[in-house]
Amino acid sequence: MLPLWRNMSKEPKNPVANPLVVLREEFDQWAVLFNPDTAAAVGINPVGVAIWKLLDGQHSLDEIAKTVRDSFSDVPEDSFGDMKAFVSDLASKGFVGYRLDE
Amino acid sequence: MKTPRRVDIEITSRCNLRCRYCYFFDNPDSEYGDLPAAEWLKFIEELGNCSVMTVCLLGGEPFIRNDLPQIIEGIVKNRMRFSILTNGGLIDDDTAAFLKKTGRCDGIQVSVDGSTAETHDSCRGEGSFEAAMHGIHLLRSHGLPVTVRVTLHRKNVKQIDNIARFLLEEVGLPMFSTNAAGYLGACKSSASDILLSTAERREAMLTLKRLSDAYPSRITALAGPLADARFWLRMEEARSKSSPPFPNGGRLTGCGCSFENIAVRSDGSYIPCNLLPHLALGRINRDPLGEVWIENEILNALRGRSRIRLSDCEFCSDCDYIPYCTGNCPAIAYGMTGKIDQPGPDACLRHFLAEGGDLGDLLKHDLSAEADNHAE
Repeated sequence: MLPLWRNMSKEPKNPVANPLVVLREEFDQWAVLFNPDTAAAVGINPVGVAIWKLLDGQHSLDEIAKTVRDSFSDVPEDSFGDMKAFVSDLASKGFVGYRLDE
Repeated sequence: MKTPRRVDIEITSRCNLRCRYCYFFDNPDSEYGDLPAAEWLKFIEELGNCSVMTVCLLGGEPFIRNDLPQIIEGIVKNRMRFSILTNGGLIDDDTAAFLKKTGRCDGIQVSVDGSTAETHDSCRGEGSFEAAMHGIHLLRSHGLPVTVRVTLHRKNVKQIDNIARFLLEEVGLPMFSTNAAGYLGACKSSASDILLSTAERREAMLTLKRLSDAYPSRITALAGPLADARFWLRMEEARSKSSPPFPNGGRLTGCGCSFENIAVRSDGSYIPCNLLPHLALGRINRDPLGEVWIENEILNALRGRSRIRLSDCEFCSDCDYIPYCTGNCPAIAYGMTGKIDQPGPDACLRHFLAEGGDLGDLLKHDLSAEADNHAE
């Protein structure tokens, strides 16, 4: 049965937003991610919001990075590492998991 | 902020008690009727869609509703957390177990006004102390986060030492919060029996300041004598040194609630705050929350209070504390003056001093505590 959401994975594939997490979009396109189970909250900027909306398990991190770079004129070409670190940080907090292979 | 982060819902207008200073009852503008659970659940779904983070359930007495678990399940299902304000008397073991099982409870605040039944029941009614303590015991036995609020009034103001010792040492609570009965709701009809006199207030400030130093970080206050003592000492120090104005000083900035929260009366009317029940902003399930939050003129006028300068308010004329003052709670201001766009006289330092109050003993205590800290 796919997609499965896990916050840990033996074979990480495409990142998936934890469906429990609430995206609170504020003014100026900034937002807060809120996990009601843990009460943890993280503030994210407009680029972070764009990444979050692509964490649907259908896109690889490479694809997400390309889409985000194409959408924001001020995101540098070599920002993949930063985006990967951002998603990893969210994963460590339980906001993001990885789709598993069957 | 496109929608409120927190919504305070008066989930019922019924209560098993009739506390003499309850802000909720005897408001001529309130309609005391309950909505069916289905109406609340529909609204709670809207809250979830609006990304509201937390719901505070109050009343009346929330636990008087038999369908409260159904309503809380709606909150959980819609990805929110919750807290509850209660007198504690209707909580049973099953209820406590249910609350724990949700995993979403931020806190349950139980009102306790004394260390004995005689003191607590004096304003809350016979048997209410025992019932509250039983409720606290059940909640804690299930590992729920319990907080206690002590409301000070003329019948318990001499008991503050005993109350602190009881709650922090005998009951073993990590902390408790304090405020004082205000000129709101049911209190208005017996204010002279309830509200602290200037002398009692001065005594309460000194006692609470001493206790809060003796029990560091275990006694809190957002309003009332302890909050006044802390803030007024800062104001007096700043005035005596002609310090620069405080960041929010000199304007009506005393309340930021309307920037983050909204409330709903038990009849389903939106209001800015539970202490301002006369300011109906619309109705749930008819007026979308997002529209009310952004567009309602009353709500925006309330937010605009922060632009009103105290120097333009007649009450503050020639006051030396203006640069350090925030004008206090708008609800108390309305209760006492009938005006929302004016400072509240209740937490006014100049007014307190003019009524015969003084900060002398507090200042001495503060200096002596500071000296003790340096000596250590």
